[in-house]
Amino acid sequence: MPVTSYRSASCGCCKGWVQHMRANGFAVRDVVVADVAVIKRRLGVPARLASCHTAEVAGFALEGHVPAADVKRLLQKRPPLAGLALPGMPLGSPGMESAYGKEAFTVMAFTRTGAISSFSQHAK
Amino acid sequence: MTTPLRRRQVLGLGLAGLGTAVVGPLLWDRLQRSAARAQPAGAARLASRGGVADLELVAQATRGSLPGGPAELLTYNGRSPGPLLEVNAGDRVRLRLRNELRQPTNLHFHGLHIPPTGTADNVFLSVPPGGSFDYEFTLAKDHPAGLFYVHPHQHGLSADQVFGGLSSALVVRGDLDRIPEVAAAKETVLVLKDFASASGQEAAMGVGRMLGREGPLLTVNGAINPGLAIPSGGLLRLRLLNASNARMYRLALEGHSLVLIATDGGAIATPEPLDELLLAPGERADVLVQGNQTPGSYRLLNLPYQRSGHMGMAAAEDAPRTLATLSYAGTVPPLPLPKALIPVPALPKPERTRRFVMAHAMGTGMGGMKHDMGAMGGGGMAMGGMGMGFQINGQAFEPDRIDTRVALGSTEDWLIVNDDVMDHPFHLHVNPFQVISRAGRPESQRRWKDTVLVKAGEEVRIRVTFRDFPGRTVYHCHNLDHEDLGLMGVLQIE
Ligand SMILES: [Cu+2]
Repeated sequence: MPVTSYRSASCGCCKGWVQHMRANGFAVRDVVVADVAVIKRRLGVPARLASCHTAEVAGFALEGHVPAADVKRLLQKRPPLAGLALPGMPLGSPGMESAYGKEAFTVMAFTRTGAISSFSQHAK
Repeated sequence: MTTPLRRRQVLGLGLAGLGTAVVGPLLWDRLQRSAARAQPAGAARLASRGGVADLELVAQATRGSLPGGPAELLTYNGRSPGPLLEVNAGDRVRLRLRNELRQPTNLHFHGLHIPPTGTADNVFLSVPPGGSFDYEFTLAKDHPAGLFYVHPHQHGLSADQVFGGLSSALVVRGDLDRIPEVAAAKETVLVLKDFASASGQEAAMGVGRMLGREGPLLTVNGAINPGLAIPSGGLLRLRLLNASNARMYRLALEGHSLVLIATDGGAIATPEPLDELLLAPGERADVLVQGNQTPGSYRLLNLPYQRSGHMGMAAAEDAPRTLATLSYAGTVPPLPLPKALIPVPALPKPERTRRFVMAHAMGTGMGGMKHDMGAMGGGGMAMGGMGMGFQINGQAFEPDRIDTRVALGSTEDWLIVNDDVMDHPFHLHVNPFQVISRAGRPESQRRWKDTVLVKAGEEVRIRVTFRDFPGRTVYHCHNLDHEDLGLMGVLQIE
């Protein structure tokens, strides 16, 4: 399944997520853009769910370091969502592996009208 | 047995001297101490006497409650913020730190020009749980007057400990305090500090360690929306300290200018009226407020601030929030603003320029691989490095590696480059600096600084003379989560 990922040149972690997606069977086009915020607005990512990079797959938006397993579940079920987001850059999420530690994180789902709900929980 | 404390005792810094000041609803209405140490919180203010300051800070975990449930707060002498420490230029300072935490801690005397070694501003020492350490140093007779900041600097735990509540404001009395218009002003120290909610839900919404943790509870001297009083015609000197872990304060006072008279390292030369004041973690500012408006109530506001470039991360708040409320009370004959303060001399021509580039990246232990980390398959640690973290010039902090050697007495320009998607406030220990330019634009007025905000994608040129004290110290990001995640370097002055 083709994924298009948009990131800024100066972000030090977005490529790690691209690599994680490729390792999990996705064909990722890695696009460097001047202003990622423009893409986030076009895809309707709620401001409070923002992370560094933004991607698109099968009409869904993927914001931040969303694990490939969650993306696969999204594509199987095709729920009426605009996309998934992992706000911020939690340590230990895909592309954010660190010897400094891990943080628990929650992948959020959002709809076209901006309704937000929890999609999956990831323990430390 | 536990001893519930009275409301007023919980206030870290009293709003004493403010007459009819109304204390807002408290964060901890029923603070309780653990049974083992059931004793009232210590004094709100500890001051020197006869040229000697004999001080004690006990770092401890204190059980209390936050809106939403019970919480464990970290306190000095049972308070958060800790007691206000007040000393004079020329004083001998003896400060015993007793560590009653379950983890090591230590102290940094943020902004003081004292040795980085021995029993002074030595951040390489560590006080184990149950241990104590006697800090001891002498402030020079001509040490600038100012508002300084005592907080833990235990690498890897600094953010946890400061975010948890450990901090004390330190006032050094001296030159600025003797200017008549400044001396006539009513003075209050405001420690700005956010706390996590009892649920800690905000971390799940993305404001975690990489961005730097912020909490939704905004407090001033441990209280939510405390009252401040100003007499009509009078002057109020607000001494502001950002003691938060990562939160920026973009301050504005309804109906009033904030007249800047001092920055981190002491007085500026000429008062400068500001509509708003941006204070990064670790920064301080003294402002005068003139009681020249229609008597009434005016809110001290924290305006929204975006600290991750244009990307929208950490956009927790989109509306102004009230920090404190200023009310008019009484009338005094009109007090004038000072016309001049204390000259800030130009530093000598720099002998060299160094460049420090700050960014987050996958570390390999062999320098940065910022743009090649994809080759690691998202598993940088498999390469034997630290994985994701922050770096200066491609290297994460290593306490045993000297990154920068400078000559005692020399002057240098440092170009601080933020090559990242988020802001980094850069802090240098021991020696104050002057900002020469930001993003290529020269600064309008010379100011003494020890912490400067370098916004995402921006460059700031600072100039510093390494005076008086040889030894090993550090420079780092004062978003303390970033510091703990590697954004720090070691400086040897020799
Ligand atoms: Cu930083």
